[in-house]
Amino acid sequence: MSLCINRLTEERKQWRRDHPFGFYAKPHRTPQGVLDLKRWECGIPGKAQTLWDGGLFKLDVTFPDEYPTKPPKCKFVPPLFHPNVYPSGTVCLSILNEEEAWKPAITIKQILLGIQDLLDDPNPESPAQAEAYNLFKKDRPAYEKRVRQVVKENPTL
Amino acid sequence: MESDDDFMSVASSADDFLDTQASDDESLGEVDFGDDFDGGFSKDKDIIATSRKPYEVDFKVLNPDDIDREQNRQINEVSSILSLPPESSAILLRYGRWNREKLIEGYMDHPEETLEEAGLGTNFEGTPKTEVVPGFVCEICCEDGDNLETYAMRCGHRFCVDCYRHYLAQKIREEGEAARIECPGDGCNMIVDSKSLSLLVTPRLKERYYTLLQRTYVDDKENLKWCPAPNCEYAVDCQVKQRDLRRIVPTVECNCKHHFCFGCTLNDHQPAPCQLVRMWLKKCEDDSETANWISANTKECPRCHSTIEKNGGCNHMTCRKCKHEFCWMCMGLWSEHGTSWYNCNRYEEKSGSEARTAQAKSRASLERYLHYYNRYANHEQSAKLDKDLFLKTEKKMTSLQSQSGLSWIEVQFLDTASQALQQCRQTLKWTYAFAYYLARNNLTEIFEDNQKDLEMAVENLSEMFEKPVPELANLKVDILDKTAYCNKRRVILLSDTAENLKNGEWSFNVDW
Repeated sequence: MSLCINRLTEERKQWRRDHPFGFYAKPHRTPQGVLDLKRWECGIPGKAQTLWDGGLFKLDVTFPDEYPTKPPKCKFVPPLFHPNVYPSGTVCLSILNEEEAWKPAITIKQILLGIQDLLDDPNPESPAQAEAYNLFKKDRPAYEKRVRQVVKENPTL
Repeated sequence: MESDDDFMSVASSADDFLDTQASDDESLGEVDFGDDFDGGFSKDKDIIATSRKPYEVDFKVLNPDDIDREQNRQINEVSSILSLPPESSAILLRYGRWNREKLIEGYMDHPEETLEEAGLGTNFEGTPKTEVVPGFVCEICCEDGDNLETYAMRCGHRFCVDCYRHYLAQKIREEGEAARIECPGDGCNMIVDSKSLSLLVTPRLKERYYTLLQRTYVDDKENLKWCPAPNCEYAVDCQVKQRDLRRIVPTVECNCKHHFCFGCTLNDHQPAPCQLVRMWLKKCEDDSETANWISANTKECPRCHSTIEKNGGCNHMTCRKCKHEFCWMCMGLWSEHGTSWYNCNRYEEKSGSEARTAQAKSRASLERYLHYYNRYANHEQSAKLDKDLFLKTEKKMTSLQSQSGLSWIEVQFLDTASQALQQCRQTLKWTYAFAYYLARNNLTEIFEDNQKDLEMAVENLSEMFEKPVPELANLKVDILDKTAYCNKRRVILLSDTAENLKNGEWSFNVDW
């Protein structure tokens, strides 16, 4: 428990010292004004020169008590149109899976950069929603049109 | 019993395998038949000891220590061939799923790639030790104390000892992982070796780690299987391969007395091969009771064969699926019935009799299934009842001793009889599943005769076995005879089916 809070405090410090351009990540503030270190609100910008350029996508990151032994849960709010995002908004990515590539040394920065990479490079091996997956596989022009629309709806601030 | 004895002496002189049975039932053989059972028995003893019946396979039961020893032997062997430390050879072997030849070959051809892929890296110097590194900050807990003990494997990903321990404990205790625990560093696939592990974790966790390793060893090896009995910690070593299972039903017996099939680890299902057993169990799961009801209460539409239950109304049926109109009584076309709406007194019109034939055919296949299923289920049920009886046997034996003055050793015959009943019923049960898939020919005639003989013997024994305690003492000789006879009939049946299976003589009515 204290490991979890220590680590998150430290990550917060490191993020404030230095973080990748266009991203944001901050612990959630409850209505009473208390910081909840175990829930972060993050934003991931689409990479330049990709379909997703110009968009900023809001992500809720929830850390379990066992963090960093266990990975945090990452969820797009609202759910994102993307082959590897579940209808609930939860992201399906190997480094976020305890049974797969999660390692305690992975930081929030690495997670957010990993999800940014995933945006323009979906993994067709593990589809998470039917709509985006089917369009991506069968009708690429329609898929790209939808993505551009999603970007328009979530513009960079 | 006279006729049974006659049969046995004829059979024993004709068939060699009967001799081998005698070696199993040595005590019985001596009590029952004395010298006249088989004169050549003692002379043949050496040959008998090594020969086996056609339905038996060679196997060896291993205890946890044997498994450890075998594992270490292979590790040390590879270690000396490749001149690598044993803990690294162990990782290599696990990576190569214990296929030694392939692994050594691969290593000789591309040593560095093989080591890399197995998660080993190439630098083997030094013994693992924890260090205090000035200015170090642990990437996991972000601690940076001056006296922070740290550890890194050869990959150089350094973490504080607490985090490393925590990570290993999580993997071993929560995830049951042992053979493939990777370095906690992001994207690093270096495997944590046993030496590093020993340095870091508590003795209890280490013990758990080795148990898990032992499990993966048995799981990885095609010739090893855990005994599926609850709480049994033995494994069985048998050379029967998956592809042999069409020709062999490899039943093995664990030291815990559990008989199971090495092919599929289900309970002993001789004489039916694994694949047929799977098909049969699946079929029974779907069918049985439903099929019974369908057979009793429904008819089929003569055109589309949909199953129809008549729940009232007149005999004029219109199939809801295909709209075919027919008469419930004669199954003929309704259009031929004219105006006789409420009763059918027509007989042997062509359309009606054809429909009845088709219906009869489809019903016959259902009846056929039920025939075999009922007998299968009956033996299963009886075996359960016999088992209850087996539990009572001991009590019975005690009361028999006090009532009849027989000593404990003398009432062992009941124990033997009950075990024979169990085993024979198990076999009988599966003969029905097996027979369901057999296409009829001369061999099936012999098979059915064998089945019938065994079944009669079993039912006879079962009846005697249930007699009240005071009568049992007088029945001792009869029960002993019948027990021996049951066992022999079982051997004959199994030997016959196993040999035909081995030689591919059976023809089946399904593809498998």
